[in-house]
Amino acid sequence: MAMDFKELLAKQAEMMKSTTEAKSEVEREITKVLTFSIGEQIYGIEIPNVVEIIGVPHITTVPGVPDYIKGIINVRSKVVPVVNIRSRFGKEEIPYNDRSSIIIVSSEDIQVGIIVDQIRDVIPVKERHIAKSPDHIGVNNNKFIKYLLEMSDGIKLVLDVNKLVYENEAVVD
Amino acid sequence: MAKVESGMEAMVDVYIFETTGLLEQLDEILLRTEQANEFKEDDINEIFRIMHTVKGSSAMMGFENLQQLAHKGEDMFFIIRENPEKVKDISFVYDLVFQMSDLFKAEIEAIQNDDDFEPTDFSEIIKKLENGAAMLKGEVAAPAAAASEAAVPAAPAKNWGDDCTTVRVFFEDGCKMENLRAFLLLNKLREEAQILDFIPDDVESNQESANVIIDNGFIITFRAPDNKAVLQVIEEAINVQSYEVINNEPEAPAAQAAETQQAAAAPAAGAPAAQASKPAAAEKTEAKTENKSSGGGKQSLISVNLSKLDQLHDIVGEIITTESMVVANPELEGLHLESFAKAARELRKLTSELQDTVMSIRMVPLAGPFQKMNRIVRDMKVKLNKDVELKIEGESTEVDKSIVDNLNDPLMHLVRNCMDHGVEDTSEERVANGKPAKATITLAAMNASGEVIITVSDDGKGIDSRKVLAKAEKNGLLTKPSNEYTEREIQNMILLPGFSTNEVVTEYSGRGVGMDVVKKNIEKVGGTISVESKLGQGTTFVIKIPLTLAIIDGMEVKVGDANFIVPISAIKESFMVTNDQIIHDTQQGEMIMMRGVCYPILRLHDKFNLETEIKNFEDGIILLIEADNRSVCLFADELVGEQQVVVKPFPVYLSQYDIKREGLSGCTIMGDGRISLIIEVNNLIGLH
Repeated sequence: MAMDFKELLAKQAEMMKSTTEAKSEVEREITKVLTFSIGEQIYGIEIPNVVEIIGVPHITTVPGVPDYIKGIINVRSKVVPVVNIRSRFGKEEIPYNDRSSIIIVSSEDIQVGIIVDQIRDVIPVKERHIAKSPDHIGVNNNKFIKYLLEMSDGIKLVLDVNKLVYENEAVVD
Repeated sequence: MAKVESGMEAMVDVYIFETTGLLEQLDEILLRTEQANEFKEDDINEIFRIMHTVKGSSAMMGFENLQQLAHKGEDMFFIIRENPEKVKDISFVYDLVFQMSDLFKAEIEAIQNDDDFEPTDFSEIIKKLENGAAMLKGEVAAPAAAASEAAVPAAPAKNWGDDCTTVRVFFEDGCKMENLRAFLLLNKLREEAQILDFIPDDVESNQESANVIIDNGFIITFRAPDNKAVLQVIEEAINVQSYEVINNEPEAPAAQAAETQQAAAAPAAGAPAAQASKPAAAEKTEAKTENKSSGGGKQSLISVNLSKLDQLHDIVGEIITTESMVVANPELEGLHLESFAKAARELRKLTSELQDTVMSIRMVPLAGPFQKMNRIVRDMKVKLNKDVELKIEGESTEVDKSIVDNLNDPLMHLVRNCMDHGVEDTSEERVANGKPAKATITLAAMNASGEVIITVSDDGKGIDSRKVLAKAEKNGLLTKPSNEYTEREIQNMILLPGFSTNEVVTEYSGRGVGMDVVKKNIEKVGGTISVESKLGQGTTFVIKIPLTLAIIDGMEVKVGDANFIVPISAIKESFMVTNDQIIHDTQQGEMIMMRGVCYPILRLHDKFNLETEIKNFEDGIILLIEADNRSVCLFADELVGEQQVVVKPFPVYLSQYDIKREGLSGCTIMGDGRISLIIEVNNLIGLH
């Protein structure tokens, strides 16, 4: 991991060098990210992809789907599938408690609910925080990670909602 | 180039809708007349009108290639119309016009679907149409010659006599496409007056004429019983800025003509015989509009965008859910509320009426997709050289619009299949088997208890079960020893994916995709398909589709923590049992004997892996369900109650998993906001 870090920093330094823009450009806020935790790790989802955050309601299980799809829920008269991000990322599921939440994310017309351990915060993202996700980070879950955020309080993994939502379709063809 | 002129996008939809409708009408007339082998005057007029409208609106939208195409078609029918009695051999006309209408449809589809739409070059078919027109002209030489003589832009006939009026019309500055507006104005005027002449005379085909109109105005000479009425029309026409009556001194229009002629002459070069024939055409059109207006009167039909209906439909669904949320609210439990109950009943009545009305709006007759089959049979008949007649029954049967749209392809495939594989290759073969030389394909539809049954049958060779079985074996489709299959099961194998009996791929069917696609399409709309066949006597495909998809009467049953909806239509009865009624077979299977019939029992909690405390048959309830003449008993914890539910499909995200095969057709949101799964009886029974 430490090696990765150095590489990351080097890459970032390079990126900054190559940007000929003024420093203020780098400081500009590009987006906001909703952060949440799964175990010790902090993840994030870009705000434009977030529809709403709800508690965990009654989930109707559906047969014939992989384990990580927990079923379907009713979100204001819309039927939305929910995915447990823990088991999706190969972690052990924990029972839902009052901090468990479902983040409804959307990409184009498709909505999916993601069950997370705890909602953290909404943080502004500046360009200097972003490190492109290198190919070899987190072998398994890598495809869902859009980029890394390096903040003073640690690294946050920002998820690629498009890939989460459309992964199924990609498998079909 | 942009797809359409800017500011016209909104009209494209209307154009597509209208033109498609007209083309279908055209096909219908052609098929009918071809069968009768004669053109009635009405038919010719109607075709002419269709061509004319299509031409006008295509020009309006700026689709020049389509406009030209329609123009040539119109030309041809103009000749036919002028000389109906002389036109005897018209079979080539049909082929040409069918070709034209196909190209038209393809082009319109392209306009509809392709963002980077490129107009197709129709010069080939246009040439053919021109040749066709020439041939017709050759047969009816005299009047055609007259027509072409008049086509010379010199204006010998400009002197119309004293009773005519000439008007010069100016359009608003910058209203664009003055020539087309002039053309539309002419069409309007034809209702009131007989148009004798107009300058420039090539407004519909020559965009350059717009400039002439801007400079000199649009000059119309007409003869009318009531001049005032005509002038009124001009005054009220859209974008007309001003007009002046250049009165009926014979020289005046002539002079005007001469003046304008120079301006018009240059761009007019490309415009052939058609406009010259305009005045004559106008007379006919006039006569026709008179007929029409007496019958037509006010329009009682409007066309509505389907998405608006879908929206309305969704809202009604929400209302029904909300209604049960209110009426069956748990907080009301145990209260004795007389007037509330009364009001609730009233509400229920009204919502179900609302639902029925919305449904009926969405119902369209099957005539549309059925009539299209005429075309397919006609085309294939020629290509395959088989003598086949298509019989259509019950075409007025109505089905939900969304279902009809999904039926076109399967029906087409089935009819093609009947033509290609079903019907014998030669009529000799038929006669040798004691059948009439002419084969019959029957397309029938009827209503039967909440379902529509559509059959596609032929009186051809029938399905050879042995061949089917052998093929299925070869393709590895058998799941049990081949001698255990019933005739019916074997025949239905042709609907399995990966099955196609015909080794030779033809133009029409047997592209390898085959019948399983038909089956998929029909299942998509909640229907089923089966096949019945007798070797040597013919094959019948039976399609059963629900009248409507969206709302069903269901019985809510509870299994552990979950609730399921079983469609009421599938439930035969529900009852309690005692353990001594249960029969256990050797493979852990459980059955129940009722009235001498043995039914297998399916435990829902086992099927769907649910936790429940009720595992003893005596504590729960049994539902006997039936579909496709097969029955099974479902074991559930308890019945909750009967309820109308709005069927919602599973989210797109889950579409890759075959939930339907698990025996579930969709889900619904219950009054308390929870989601229940709707049981798909057919698949559930099939699974067992």
